[in-house]
Amino acid sequence: MQAQSFARPRRTGNLERAAWLFTRISALVLLVMAVFHLLYMHIVMGQDAISFQLIAWRWQFPGWRLFDLVLLVFGWLHGANGMRIVLDDYVHSPVGKTVARTLLGVLTATLIVLGAFVVLTFKAP
Amino acid sequence: MAAVTSFFRAVTYRGREGQIAWMLHRVTGVGVFVFLALHILNIFLMAFPSNVFNSVAALYHNVLFELATIFGLYLGVLYHALNGIRVMIVDFWPGAGKYQVPLWRVQLVIFVLAFVPSAAVMLARMF
Repeated sequence: MQAQSFARPRRTGNLERAAWLFTRISALVLLVMAVFHLLYMHIVMGQDAISFQLIAWRWQFPGWRLFDLVLLVFGWLHGANGMRIVLDDYVHSPVGKTVARTLLGVLTATLIVLGAFVVLTFKAP
Repeated sequence: MAAVTSFFRAVTYRGREGQIAWMLHRVTGVGVFVFLALHILNIFLMAFPSNVFNSVAALYHNVLFELATIFGLYLGVLYHALNGIRVMIVDFWPGAGKYQVPLWRVQLVIFVLAFVPSAAVMLARMF
C-alpha cells in the first residue's frame, strides 16, 4: 500500500476527464449546430446577403439569439480546450506554458464577453 | 523549436492513415479556431452603427473570400466533424480500433458524398 500524503489530493485527473468529456459532448452539439449554421448562412441566406440589416432581422427572434449564444459558447470553449491541448504539445517550458495559457484564457474571456454582450443587448436602430 | 522538431517528425514519421487523419484534424481545428476568433470580433461590430459592420462585410462578398469559406472553412469544419465522430466511435467502442483504417476510408467516402453536392450548391449560389 502506498504512503498517504497529507497534502490535498490533486484534482487535475478529474478536470482532465471533464475536459475530455466536454470535448465530446460539445462536438455532438456543434456537429448539428455549426454545420446547420454554415449551410443556413451560405445556402439559405447566401453569403452575398450578409449585412447589418440581415443580422438585425435575425436577432428580432429570441430563438436565433439563443441559437447564436449557444453556438458562441460551445464553439469557442470547444476550440479553446482543443487549443490548450495543442499548446501543451508544442510549448514545454513552464514559463512558456503559463504565458500561453494566460493568453488563451484572456482571449477566451474577451471573446465570450464581447460576443454574449452584443447578442444579448443588440437593439435594432 | 519544439514546433520545428514536430514538423520534421510529421514528415518523416510513417504513421500512415492514423497519422494523416490526426494531422488533418489538428490543422483543420487550428484553422477553424483562428477563423472563429476573427468571426466573433466581426459580429461584435453589430454593436456599432450599421456602416461599420457593412464595411467589413464587404470582405464576405469578395469572390476569393467566398471561395476560401467553401474550400477552407466549410471543408475544414466538415472534415473535423466527421473525423471527430470516428474518434468517438473508437473511444466508446475500443474494438473498433482494429478497423480504424477501413473506418477512415468510410469516413472519407462520407466526406466526399456530403461535401461535393453542398459545396456545388454554395458555388452555384455565388453566381
